Amino acid sequence: MAEVITPLILYVAVILGGVGVWMALPRKRVNPQIIGGLVAAIAGGLVLIGLGLRAREVEGGLPNLYFYVFAAIALGASLRVITHQRPVYAALYFILTILSSAGLYLLLAAEFMAFALIIIYAGAILITYLFVIMMATQAPSEEEVDVLAEYDLQAREPLAAVFAGFLILGALSVMIFTGASKLPGEAEIRAQAPHPDHMLELLPRRVERVLQDEGLISGRERIVREARGVLSLDPETRTAVVARTVDPDGDPAGGFIPGSEREIELPDHLRARNVESLAYDFLNRHPMTIEIAGVILLMAMLGAVVLSRRQVDIDDERKRQQAERRLRDAEEARL
Amino acid sequence: MVSTFASMADFLAPAQASFPEGVGSVTLAHYLFVSVAMFTMGLIGFLTRRNLIIMFLCTEMMFQAAGIALIAFSRFYLHHTGQSFVIFVLTVAAAEAALALALVVLLFRGRESLNADQWHSLKG
Amino acid sequence: MQTTTPQLAETIGALGLGAADTGAALEVATGPAWAMLIPMLPLLGAAIMGVCAIMGVRSKLPAWITVGLLGFSAVLAAAMYAWLPENGRAVSVAWEWINVSWGDEPGQTLKANFGFYIDSLTCLWMLFVTLLATLIALYASEYMSHDLGAGYCRFFAAFNLFVFSMACLVMGDNLLLLFLGWEGVGLCSYLLIGYHYKKHSAVFAAKKAFIVNRIGDLGLLLGVFLTFVHFGTLEYKDLFPMVQPYIEAMRQGAVGDIPAVVQLIPVLLMIGAFGKSAQLPLFVWLPDAMEGPTPVSALIHAATMVTAGVYLIARMYPLFLVSEWALPIVAWVGGLTALVAATIAMAQFDIKRIMAYSTVSQLGFMFCGLAFLSSVGGAFHVVTHAFFKATLFLCCGAVMHGFAGQLDLRKLSGVSFMKGWGIVGIAMFIGCLNLAGFPFTAGYFSKDMILAEAFITPGPGYQFLGVILLLTAGITAYYTFRVFFRVFVGPKQFEPGDELHGHDGHIDDHHEEHGSASRATEADEGHTPGDHEPMGGSVEERGKKTHEHPEHFHPHAPGWAINGVLATLAILSVLAAALYFFPGADKSHKGWAGGMISGSSAALVVGGEADHPTRLAAFVGAEPEQGTLFGQDPHKIMYYVSGVIGFVGIAIAFALHYAGRKESERSAANNLLQVKPIRTAHRWANAKWYVDELYDFALRKPLWAASQIFHLIDKLLIDGLVNLVGYLPRALGKGVRPSQSGVLHSYAAAMAGGLAVILLIVLLLSL
Repeated sequence: MAEVITPLILYVAVILGGVGVWMALPRKRVNPQIIGGLVAAIAGGLVLIGLGLRAREVEGGLPNLYFYVFAAIALGASLRVITHQRPVYAALYFILTILSSAGLYLLLAAEFMAFALIIIYAGAILITYLFVIMMATQAPSEEEVDVLAEYDLQAREPLAAVFAGFLILGALSVMIFTGASKLPGEAEIRAQAPHPDHMLELLPRRVERVLQDEGLISGRERIVREARGVLSLDPETRTAVVARTVDPDGDPAGGFIPGSEREIELPDHLRARNVESLAYDFLNRHPMTIEIAGVILLMAMLGAVVLSRRQVDIDDERKRQQAERRLRDAEEARL
Repeated sequence: MVSTFASMADFLAPAQASFPEGVGSVTLAHYLFVSVAMFTMGLIGFLTRRNLIIMFLCTEMMFQAAGIALIAFSRFYLHHTGQSFVIFVLTVAAAEAALALALVVLLFRGRESLNADQWHSLKG
Repeated sequence: MQTTTPQLAETIGALGLGAADTGAALEVATGPAWAMLIPMLPLLGAAIMGVCAIMGVRSKLPAWITVGLLGFSAVLAAAMYAWLPENGRAVSVAWEWINVSWGDEPGQTLKANFGFYIDSLTCLWMLFVTLLATLIALYASEYMSHDLGAGYCRFFAAFNLFVFSMACLVMGDNLLLLFLGWEGVGLCSYLLIGYHYKKHSAVFAAKKAFIVNRIGDLGLLLGVFLTFVHFGTLEYKDLFPMVQPYIEAMRQGAVGDIPAVVQLIPVLLMIGAFGKSAQLPLFVWLPDAMEGPTPVSALIHAATMVTAGVYLIARMYPLFLVSEWALPIVAWVGGLTALVAATIAMAQFDIKRIMAYSTVSQLGFMFCGLAFLSSVGGAFHVVTHAFFKATLFLCCGAVMHGFAGQLDLRKLSGVSFMKGWGIVGIAMFIGCLNLAGFPFTAGYFSKDMILAEAFITPGPGYQFLGVILLLTAGITAYYTFRVFFRVFVGPKQFEPGDELHGHDGHIDDHHEEHGSASRATEADEGHTPGDHEPMGGSVEERGKKTHEHPEHFHPHAPGWAINGVLATLAILSVLAAALYFFPGADKSHKGWAGGMISGSSAALVVGGEADHPTRLAAFVGAEPEQGTLFGQDPHKIMYYVSGVIGFVGIAIAFALHYAGRKESERSAANNLLQVKPIRTAHRWANAKWYVDELYDFALRKPLWAASQIFHLIDKLLIDGLVNLVGYLPRALGKGVRPSQSGVLHSYAAAMAGGLAVILLIVLLLSL
């Protein structure tokens, strides 16, 4: 069984991590949060070092340095989210977690998702959280400057929770590290996956504008269309067939002049972007899911409105009186 | 702007090829470990913290962990569906946040407290 | 039993039954559609009675409607007899009743039409049923007149329904329709016995009749089931040909070839017949059934319904013939019942009850007749008995009607000589002569046929049974004329009964504390109505106290309807004797009845030409040429023997109850009772041999005890189990409830723990 990391290191790290988290969780009297944090960091570091050492042996297996940086920040911040006694700080640390996760997304070449994450999570959701936290936290008074709610000071059954959590962590880690070796190799995946630039076949305007900007085609030349508007463009060899259009303004709908075809090479920087591919996948493959997501959001909005509305009982009589008074006031104002 | 983002990704990932290149299974394991560890943190936080808001934050953290795993697989399989799913995860997280926070506000109005232990009977 | 079988087989063989001619004889024609009106008219009548009751008719209209409809039915029955086809069989199908199929194999289709099997047996029964029903309805129109209104309608509704059910029973072309009619007559019997539903004894009697009948019906039902299981059909026209091979086997003495199931069917059917016809183990209901109005007793419990058992055996005669057990059991049960019932009748004082026991006794004779392979004798006795016993009952009813419910033969005397009672006296005399078997009466001839066969039919102890029956005939003559000499002749004396007209009210009061079977005992003890009325010594004194009016009590003589019916029935009873001489269709010496039977399913063996010498050849074996009993024709011998025995019985009755009647303490009968063994026997017979008490002790009490045990088992075990089923979830819930604390964290922890466990399991399995 070829494991990514030696089980011994993993088990030690899981146990250490558990102990560290347990120590770091808030409690009332002795509060060895710093020691706990260190222990947990050591455990995390142990795993990451183990992973790094193993990765060196495999070609192309070593993630770059930023991974370690972002992973460390993300995990450290998440530990702080669950250990910090003040909810506001917990929320701020969560923003840090989000930001470092966005960094990991960038490393995984999901830049659209990375920035969407920052905008939606850090920008919208977490602000709402902070808003509610501030609304729901007692304001400091003259006598007591540092007001902390009783329930924030003490974790509930930390040992059991940490035991269950790290049991899951251990089990999942073993699965990941043993399962990783059973995954298909890169060549195999690449053979099955579509070429990353095949999106270009569907983007005639963008391709033709880039080609015109580069001066590779004239004003009347367009890439030849195949069936259903697909461009005759080969992403593998990075070549395309262009021809002169009948229409002087270069409208390909008018047809091409026969015999004017020529093959050109695409410029190197003309590549499909992540957003384009994602949008295509998103809209082409999951239209129904989008609808469902929309309905969920609508329901959430309605639910939030209904739930947070302040329920005030005004009987009909008083409503009528109010309306009459307003009417009278308005008439007096008119007079 | 587009080229700026692309070159930034290049800058951030010097050891990797640009987007078309995949990640190895060993590297995938790195990301997945981070995801699992973050999930565990969220779980433990949910179980141990008594503050309703922090408990919800912890669920958001678990969503986030799932998001990292999805993106990592998306990259590993050179397939964009993983990223599409993160969009849905974000949708659900947003809906959940809206409803959960509305609920928290409602509950806080009733008891002037965010302690989850205070609500243990159906009739409040 | 084993020894009898070859004899029986020989007999059947000797009767010259050929498979060929029976096969031809079983062709069935299509009957006329109007035959269906015979049962339908009474049903219509029942419906009209219901309408009358709703409209609150308070006249005699229901009676006239009933008489009209039943009379029309009787005419149709006569027409059916006239129509009877050459081969004697026809089926009229009214509609398809049940047709259920669960496969294509034979025996996987249950088919039962609402159809009517018309042959001479049907005609015979329907003729006397409809005729008697018409006459008795006419009688009841007057008899029930004190109850005009809803009760009157109720009576005639049940009466009509009874005739409909009886017609279904007799005419049905399959066993299922027979069973429907069988249950229908049982229901109507129940309804009519319990007619005075405010009277406790009547209600008890009705329940008793119903329950005892159900015991017999279980046997019948099982027999029907078994018939279907074995033969795969319930329709007579298909069933009888299927029995032919077994009869053939019986004829050749190959009893072993007949499956036990086939031999068991008649035994089960027989149990039903015993219940309906009040035979030995199940006869207890019939005497109590006399709580019903007298017309009901006459029609249902004497003339028609109780002969349904005889009809059943006669109809299913082929099946009975192929069983080596059935007919001997029938014979012995019938014979013993005849004797036991006759002895009880000797010691009773309630004249209606005496008639009831005599009915039981005579039914025993009929069963014996069937069992002695003389279905003609059995059927003929059914017909003659129907007429003379109806006459007797209606006479008793007239007396009861006129003397305010008085039925005690010690308190009535010289009724015939009173003004307006002449016809009743004459009719009673004719009926008594018939029942006693006085020579040249119809009862004499029909009883004779049965008695003679007893001595010439092979069977287990049949000769001894013949002697028993002869003794019973003598006893019958005695108790019949005991009633006659006591009540209808002699000095004119009477004490009115307690049932003044419009009587329902005060009857409840003093019957409440008594059981259903207590009437005879009460009479014996000199019971008087109510403690506040001391027994009056003289008629005058008594009459004053009983009646509100200052005049003496006047027995009111029967009106034209009762007199007319009684006269008609008396004449018919006399004329019934002519049926013995009147040649039947096949000119058999057995007369009209023989002709009727020979054309029906009951005659497959006793085919018209079966003659004494042939039959005796089977019996005596070595000396076929003798063919006689003591060197004479057994029937001729019986003429003399039974005539003499009848005379002796009448003479004893005359000596004890007419000539020897003085003051009550020193009468001849009472002197006789001073002899101790006779007194003891009298006491026992008067108490009906303690059969009711025996059943109470041997059946009711153990059943009650068993029910208590089962009740306990039910309460402790069954209820306990059910309660345990309810208790377990509750206990479980009680144990688990604390985990549902409502605390969010405990649920989340449970989820996380569960997830951890599942992951561990998956991990360990995948390693």
